[in-house]
Amino acid sequence: MTAVIEARGLAKTYGATRALDGVSFSVAPGRIVGLIGPNGAGKTTALKAILGLTSFSGELAVLGLDPRTQRDALMREVCFMADVAVLPRWLRVSQALEVVAGVHPRFDRARATEFLSKTDIRASSRVRELSKGMVTQLHLALILAIDARLLVLDEPTLGLDLLYRRKFYDTLLNDYFDKERTILLTTHQVEEVENLFTDVIFINHGRLALNASVEDLGNRYQQLTLAAEQAPRARALKPFYEREVFGRVAMLFEGRSAAELGALGELRTPSIADLFVAKMQGTPST
Amino acid sequence: MNSTLAGAAAAEAPRPVAPSDRIGSGNTLLMLVRRELWEHRALWIAPLVVAALMVFGAIVASVKYHLTRADMSRDDGPQGMTMFAVMQGAVSMPLSVVMLIVLVFYLLDCLYAERKDRSILFWKSLPVSDDLTVLSKLLVALVAVPLGVFALGLLLSLVFTGIWEVDAALGRVPAIPGWGMLAWLKAEIALLLCLMVGVLWYAPFAAYLLVVSAWARRNPFLWAVLPPVLAQIVEHVAFGTHFVGNFLRYRMFGIWGTLFSHMHVGRGRAFALSSALSQLKLQAALTDIDLWLGLAVAAALVFAAIRLRRYRDET
Repeated sequence: MTAVIEARGLAKTYGATRALDGVSFSVAPGRIVGLIGPNGAGKTTALKAILGLTSFSGELAVLGLDPRTQRDALMREVCFMADVAVLPRWLRVSQALEVVAGVHPRFDRARATEFLSKTDIRASSRVRELSKGMVTQLHLALILAIDARLLVLDEPTLGLDLLYRRKFYDTLLNDYFDKERTILLTTHQVEEVENLFTDVIFINHGRLALNASVEDLGNRYQQLTLAAEQAPRARALKPFYEREVFGRVAMLFEGRSAAELGALGELRTPSIADLFVAKMQGTPST
Repeated sequence: MNSTLAGAAAAEAPRPVAPSDRIGSGNTLLMLVRRELWEHRALWIAPLVVAALMVFGAIVASVKYHLTRADMSRDDGPQGMTMFAVMQGAVSMPLSVVMLIVLVFYLLDCLYAERKDRSILFWKSLPVSDDLTVLSKLLVALVAVPLGVFALGLLLSLVFTGIWEVDAALGRVPAIPGWGMLAWLKAEIALLLCLMVGVLWYAPFAAYLLVVSAWARRNPFLWAVLPPVLAQIVEHVAFGTHFVGNFLRYRMFGIWGTLFSHMHVGRGRAFALSSALSQLKLQAALTDIDLWLGLAVAAALVFAAIRLRRYRDET
C-alpha cells in the first residue's frame, strides 16, 4: 500500500536552531498517528512541512505530492486544524459554512449543518461570540464534513475542558475515522488519547526517538515493577529507564523476553505516556 | 530534491479527480470577494453612510434654503456652468475621497490582519491558492469597490435630480439648465472612463500597499508611509533636490493632466461636465507609457505579495 506520508531526511533550521535534524518516517493509510514530543521538539515544524507551510530540506511526499510545489492540489485531499482559535473572529457561523462550501469541492454542507444542530452554536453567531469549546466544535464540524484522506491536528484540544476534549475525540473516532482515512495528531495530553493511536512517533531535539505501531510496542517494550532489593539483578538486564515509586522500582526494558523478566517482578506493557517520559528523560540508571 | 519520491508515489496512487471534484477559479474568486466584503464592512458601509448624509443634507437644504434666481444667474457663467455639472461633481467628489481612504486602509489590512490573528492558518487549510487569494483582494480594491461606489454615485445623482425637480415643480428653484437624459448618460460614461483610467493609474499604489500588508510584522500603515517620507527628507538633506517628491506627486496626479489636457477647470471658466466625454483625452491617457510602466510595476509587486503570503513562515 502506498504511504500517505513518506519522509526521508527531513531537516529544517531556524538560524542556529535545528528544528528538524534528518527525520525519516512513513505513515500508512488508515492509521491514527500520534506525533509526540516535548515543547520545541520539532513537532509543529514537521506538521508545517507536511502541510506545505514551511520550507525544509530532505524528501517528503504527502499523498504522492510535494507539499512545497503542489500545495494547492494537496489541500484538496488534506485537512488541518492548526490550533484552537484560528477561525477568524469576525466570521459568522453561517458564513463559515458558506465560504467552505464555496471553495471546497469535497465539503458536505448538510453534514456540517447536521453536526452543528446537535450543539448550542447558532448560525448567526460570530466566532468572537463563541466560547473556546464552541469554536473548536465549529471547526470540527467543518472538518468532519470534508472528505479528506489525511487529517492533521496540531494540539486541537489545547485549553479545552475535559468534557469538550472527550467529546472531540469521540466524535473524531465515531463520525470521521475509517480505514480510508489517516489522522496525524499532536497533543500534550498523551494519557487521554493514547487509546486512540494506532502508531506513535516520538520526536525530540528534532530527531526521531521512536517510531512504532501500538501493537509493536507490546512486543518491544516491557515495564517491570519490582521491590527495591531486586533492582540490582534487574539492572543487569540493562533497563533504559527506571524510577522509584512508593519504595518499589519501575524499569523499562527494550527487547527483553517475558521469560527473562517475569521472574523478577510484575511485568506489563508500558503506557505511551510512561514510554514517552522514559524516552525523553534519558537513562539515569546506565 | 524529492521529485523522484513524489513522482513515484504519484504514479502508484493515481486518484482520478472527477470534473465535479473541482470548483472553478471564477466561482472561487467570487466567493473570496464576498468573503472580503464580509470581513471589511467599512468598504461598503462608509460610502453608504456618506451617501445617506449627502441625501439628508440635500433634503434639508431644499426645505430650508431657497436659491434665488440671482444666485443661479451669478453662477451661470458665459461658458455655461450648469447646476447639473455642479451636482455631478458634488456627488462624485465626497464618494471618491471616502473610497480612497477606505481602500488604503483595506489594502494595508487585508494580508496583515490574517497573520496577526493567525486565521491565515484556517484560510490556508482550504484548497485556495495564494494567487487567487491575493488576486481576490486586488479585485475588491480595483474593481468591486470602485464599481460599487460608481453605481452609488449614479443613484445619488438621480436622487439629487429628483429632489431638484420637485423643488422646481414647486417653483422654488429654476428648472435644471442643461439637464437631459443624453447629457446625463454622457456624463456618467465620462465618469466611468475617468474611474477606469484612475484604477489603472493607481494600480501600482494598490500593489505596493498589498506588499507592505503581506510583509510588515506590525503597523503596516507606518511601514507604508515612512519609506516615501524618509526618502524625500534624506534626498533633500543630502542633495537639496526634490526628485522623489516630484516623482511621487507625478505618480499621484500625472494622469489627470493627460486626461484633461485642453480642458480648463478653474474660476470663471468652469466646464460643463455634460460635454466632458467628448473632451476626455482617453486615447492619450491609455497610450501613456508611464501608465503601462506603472502596471508592469504593479504586476511585479502583486507577484511579490503572492510569494510573501505563500512562503512567509511566522505562525
